[in-house]
Formats: sequence, C-alpha cells, structure tokens
Amino acid sequence: MIDVRHVTKTYGKKSTIFTALDDVNFSIPDGASVAIIGKSGSGKSTLMHTMSGLDRPQTGEVIIDGQDILQLKSKEVDRFRSRQMSFIFQSFFVEANESCYNNVGMVCEIADVPSAEHQDRIERALEAVELTDKKKSRARDLSGGQKQRLAIARAIVNDPKILFADEPTGNLDSATGEIIEDLLFRYNREKGVTLIIVTHDHDLAKRCDIMIQIRDGKIVSVDNKKPATKSSRKKAGKS
Amino acid sequence: MKARYIVRRAGRSLKQAKIRTLLTSLAIAVGAFTLTIALAAGEGSRQYAEKLISSNINSQALFVVRDESLVGGGGLPGGDGLKEYSETSTQFSGLSIKSLEPKDLDVIENDKDIEQVIPTYLVEAQYMTFEGIKKKYTSDVSVYDASVLAESAAGTLPPLGEQIKDDEVVIPEGFLKALKIDNPKDIVGKKVTLRLVRQVQPSEEEITKTIQEKGSAGLAELVGGEVRDESFVVRVVSKASVTSLSASNALFISENTARSLSDFLTRDTPRYRSYVAATAIVKDGVEPEVVKQRLTDKDLTVRTAEDLQGLLFTIVNLLQGIVAGFGVLALIASVFGIINTQYISVLERTQQIGLMKALGMHSRDVAKLFRYEAAWIGFLGGVIGSVIAWGTGTVLNPWITEQLDLGAGNHLLIFEPLPVIGLIIGLMIIAVIAGYFPARKAAKLDPIEALRTE
Ligand SMILES: Nc1ncnc2c1ncn2[C@@H]1O[C@H](COP(=O)(O)OP(=O)(O)OP(=O)(O)O)[C@@H](O)[C@H]1O
Ligand SMILES: [Mg+2]
Repeated sequence: MIDVRHVTKTYGKKSTIFTALDDVNFSIPDGASVAIIGKSGSGKSTLMHTMSGLDRPQTGEVIIDGQDILQLKSKEVDRFRSRQMSFIFQSFFVEANESCYNNVGMVCEIADVPSAEHQDRIERALEAVELTDKKKSRARDLSGGQKQRLAIARAIVNDPKILFADEPTGNLDSATGEIIEDLLFRYNREKGVTLIIVTHDHDLAKRCDIMIQIRDGKIVSVDNKKPATKSSRKKAGKS
Repeated sequence: MKARYIVRRAGRSLKQAKIRTLLTSLAIAVGAFTLTIALAAGEGSRQYAEKLISSNINSQALFVVRDESLVGGGGLPGGDGLKEYSETSTQFSGLSIKSLEPKDLDVIENDKDIEQVIPTYLVEAQYMTFEGIKKKYTSDVSVYDASVLAESAAGTLPPLGEQIKDDEVVIPEGFLKALKIDNPKDIVGKKVTLRLVRQVQPSEEEITKTIQEKGSAGLAELVGGEVRDESFVVRVVSKASVTSLSASNALFISENTARSLSDFLTRDTPRYRSYVAATAIVKDGVEPEVVKQRLTDKDLTVRTAEDLQGLLFTIVNLLQGIVAGFGVLALIASVFGIINTQYISVLERTQQIGLMKALGMHSRDVAKLFRYEAAWIGFLGGVIGSVIAWGTGTVLNPWITEQLDLGAGNHLLIFEPLPVIGLIIGLMIIAVIAGYFPARKAAKLDPIEALRTE
C-alpha cells in the first residue's frame, strides 16, 4: 500500500516560484498496476521521483507499508530503494560499456545481495526478458528494444515490490513497445509487483487497473477499474 | 555496497577508458620512476659507503687529532685565515696545524680501554729504487694497516691483526704498470731501497764554521741534509681494490720502521715525535663512543669510525634528497593530472552516477568508487614507473659501475622491494587525496538532475 498525502513540491524562490505538485493525494493498493497520465510538464516525473524518495517535496507524506519514506535518512531511503523499488526510464539508461550480465549485476551489488546468489538471479532475470544469449554482449551493441528489456531485467532481478516506469515505451516503435508493455504487465500479474507507469499514451493507460490523471501539478481524477478491496476502497474514498 | 565490488567496478571503468587511464598514470609513473631511482641510488651509495668504510677503517678505531679544523669541527682548515703561531705546529702548504705532542699520545696510550696507538707517521722518501730497475720513483709511504684485511695478488699477507716484518714492504698492484712488470710474482722477494733526506737548518755559527773548515763544498753538504738509504724486501703485491682506498697508491712499511724513519726525518726539528693525527684502537667489547668521550674531555678531538661514516652518509642523503626532490615535483604535477582527469570523468559519467544513485547506491559509495579509481591510477603509475626504473637500473648498473669506476660487484643502484612497495602505496594514497574533490562532486550529484541529462 502506497499512500500519498498532501504532497506539494515547488521550484524556485518567491518571485519565480513554480508549483510542480500541488497538494497531491491518492493511494495505491499492493499489486496494482497504475498509470500516471498527463501532458508534458504536468508533473508526472516529479510525482514519480517523490514517490520513490529520489526527490523531497516541501510538504506531505509518502507512506509505504506504514512508513513515511520522507522521514527516513538518506541512507535508509537508498537502502529502501535498492531493495524494494526499481526503475525503468524512457531513455533506458543502461551502462553502455558494461556487459548485459554486469548491467544486471550492478543492482545486486548495490542491494548487498549475497554474492553466491548473484549468478542465479542475473541469469533468471535475463531469461525472463529473453536476453540469455546476449549475456556477454556490451549493452551499447543492443537494439533499443533489447536495451529496454535489459533495463527490465535489471529492474526485476532483486524481486522489488514496486516497479516505476517513466515512459517505458516512449523511445520505441509501437510493436517493440508492446513487447515491453507485455513484459511489464506479465511481471505485475505473476509476481504481484505494484507497477507504476508514467505515460501520456492513453492506450497504455487503459491497460492499467488505476489511472491517475494529473494537470498542472494537480490530480484531476483517479479511476479505479478493478473492484477494489475493502481497505483500498476506504482509502480511495478518503482522498 | 561491498568494497570489493566497488574496487572491481572502478577497475572496469578505468579499463573502458584505457588511453586516458594510461596517460594519467604515466604522469605519476614519471614521479615513481625518479623516486625509485632516488631510493635505489641512496641504498646503493649507502651500501657502497659502508663497504668503503669497513674495508678501510677498523670499526674499533678512533681517529684522534689536536686540531679540530682537521675534522671539520671548526670549519675548513685555514678557514679562519690568521692563526696563532705555535712551536709544535706543522706547516702544510701554508696552513698551520696543531699537532699531537708526545704528552697527548701518552694520554691516549694510558687510557685503560685503548689497545694500541698508531700515529700517522709522515715518511717522505726523496725517491725509491727497485732491484733490477734503473729508474727512480716516488710514492707515498704509509704504515701497513693490520686491522683491515687486504687482498694479495702475489705473496702471502700476514694474518689479520699482525704487522709485516720491519724489513718488509707491501706494494700495491698499481705500481706494476710504472715498473713495467706484468706478473706480480716477479717482484715478490725483490729489494726496494728508500732514499731518505733529513733537512737541516744550520745556525749562522755552524755555517761560518763549515765554510772556514771545509769550504763551499762543505757548505753544500751541510744544507743538503743528512742522507740515509733503507732497504726492504717486497713481501706482497696487494690487489687493486676500488673499495680499499689506501691499497691503491702507497708503499706500505711496518709500524716500527715508520717510527724510526719518521724519527730520523724529524730529529732536531719541532716536528720530532709530534704527529698530525693518530689512530687508536679500542679494545674489543668496549664502545668506541665511551672512549671518545673520555678523550674529548682531555682536549683531544676524536672521531669514531661511525662518525666518519655519518659524514659520508650526510652527503649521500643530501644527494638522494635532491633526486627525490625532482620526483616529488613530478608527483605534484601528476596530482593536477589526476584531479583534471577525474573531474572530466565525473562530468562524462553524470548519467551513470545518477542511475547508480537512483538504484539506491549511497553517496558515500559513489565517492568511494571515484576514490578507488584514483587509487588504481596511482597503483598503475607506481607499478609502471618503478618497474621501468628497476629494469633500466638493472640493465644500466654494469655500465654505471664502469663509468664511475666503482669496482666489480659494486652497484650504484640497489633496488629493494620493501621501499618500492611503500612508494607504490604512498602514490595510491596521494592519488586518492588528489581524487578527493572529484569524488565529492560525484557524491553530491543530484540523481534527478543527472538523469535529465541526455
Ligand atoms: N529543477 C527544476 N527547476 C525548476 N522547474 C522544474 C525543475 N524540474 C522540473 N521542473 C518543472 O516542473 C514541471 C514538471 O516537470 P516534470 O518533469 O515532472 O514533467 P513531466 O510531466 O514529466 O513532463 P514530460 O512528459 O515532458 O516528461 C515542469 O514544468 C518543469 O519545468
Ligand atoms: Mg517526465
């Protein structure tokens, strides 16, 4: 369960002040797939960064499993992110000079996964995105779709509870984009990971259980397609 | 994140920028090269000096003088210019040096821990002749030093500590060339004759008397001095040794002979039985330093073998310091190289740093990553520099030995693993310090900003 309460994020000072997020409230039940949708500059990425503890808003709370992550020390937030969350970006952000294996291995190292488990985990993750045969290839030699699949392998290797994806298909053609979407939704279904996708693609947003619309930093609507569980309905009603 | 992973990752990052890594390391390598050479040259010269001293000076020997200026205590001899005239002073090329008088020698001899006192006799032969050779030669004449073992080229030396007989001499191998003798055995057992001339300073009275009695021929004889020929047998031809200073250039006679000849040459002069210096041998098991203190209290100037060694070492250390100074300069230059390279590296890898932080890497680990990279650069530079220095030094050593005439088996550059390892570790630390600011910049990078750059 992720609870976002009264989150306000501003940039700049007095005369040039700009409110990127304006008193944002919503909650997401565990295992849901969520689309955050809105126009460019509406504050989608900022919201995602805030929810993951990368960015600190001026006010508000982000409560994940009962813990307000904005209250944690930076080191604890780091640990939280490395063990419970993972990210997929529009422009892949794979390490071009490293092999696929090492790209995935990096997050095992960061999360202090026991070294005996590394190989097994990395190979399973690469298999899940069908990149087993590219294990030793350098990431720079991969196609765009393969790079994003590598990013997914990196995102799932530590069995995260929350997976953030910022425009995961933005740089891909529609056919390749679909493969990536399928991979993400399958992982969401099979492992029960909470999937949060930032997008301005309505077709992609429609595939999600929950659609949060944002405009100029304000939540316009929260559509929950799935019959919500009792607890999540109670929370949703509150916001 | 485990340090081991960060070290490995740092190594991989450097491997991916091979040329840049190499060039940055080379700057350090120049410093490492110079410092390794400095270390090796220092070690080599110290060992050489030690060898030089131990084969020339008995470690139990004390070098005793009256005149402090002789041993550098009061500046260089003659440095003061005008000196008080003294009856017992010995004149050396216009310098007046206070000598050890018989009573001083008694003081030394009567010390309970002194085994033996050997004054430095000044025996000047006008010339010397060798049996079967017509020509006349000149050479220094010294007392055979029984306390250090020489090497023989022909003939048998007495055992260590024992003097040669009074009618024997030891000549150095170096004489053979002038004598045009190829085989040193040819001269062993042959006769050597020294022509000694005692200078006299007749009084006015004597001169008048001689002229009256013997005419001008008598006068010539009188001022010409008293002449004496002494003959000896060559016992040994000592081997030329580069580390043994004395062996190379003087004719050696026994101590008794030296005394009697010196006495003859100085009789009726103020220099009779007074000597510029003396060597005193301290009994085994007694610290020379203790005896030195005692003699110093009695107004003598004393240097132990260790003091003399120290003097040499001061020079060696100074020279080593100069070479090391250049190495340090090179290192300072390379520090800026590291800072520059690492800053560029941080800028180039902004996105990577942002990604790692977004994925949960601590800022401290990011800083470590860059510090370890710097350490790798330092390590690489240190290894490259010292290996090249070691290699070139080893190859050039025989040539240097030949050029400087150090004698076979002696090397100017002696490489020891421990100081070199210390040097490499030191360079790694310097590199890490140089990498501090770039590493801090990386650690402070805002991941959101970093991920925005494309
Ligand atoms: N560091 C910053 N300083 C000032 N303004 C900022 C900063 N970061 C973001 N903004 C502003 O905040 C607003 C929201 O930015 P954000 O990146 O969240 O938009 P977005 O919805 O993700 O847009 P896009 O779809 O184009 O990625 C934008 O108007 C942006 O200009
Ligand atoms: Mg965005």
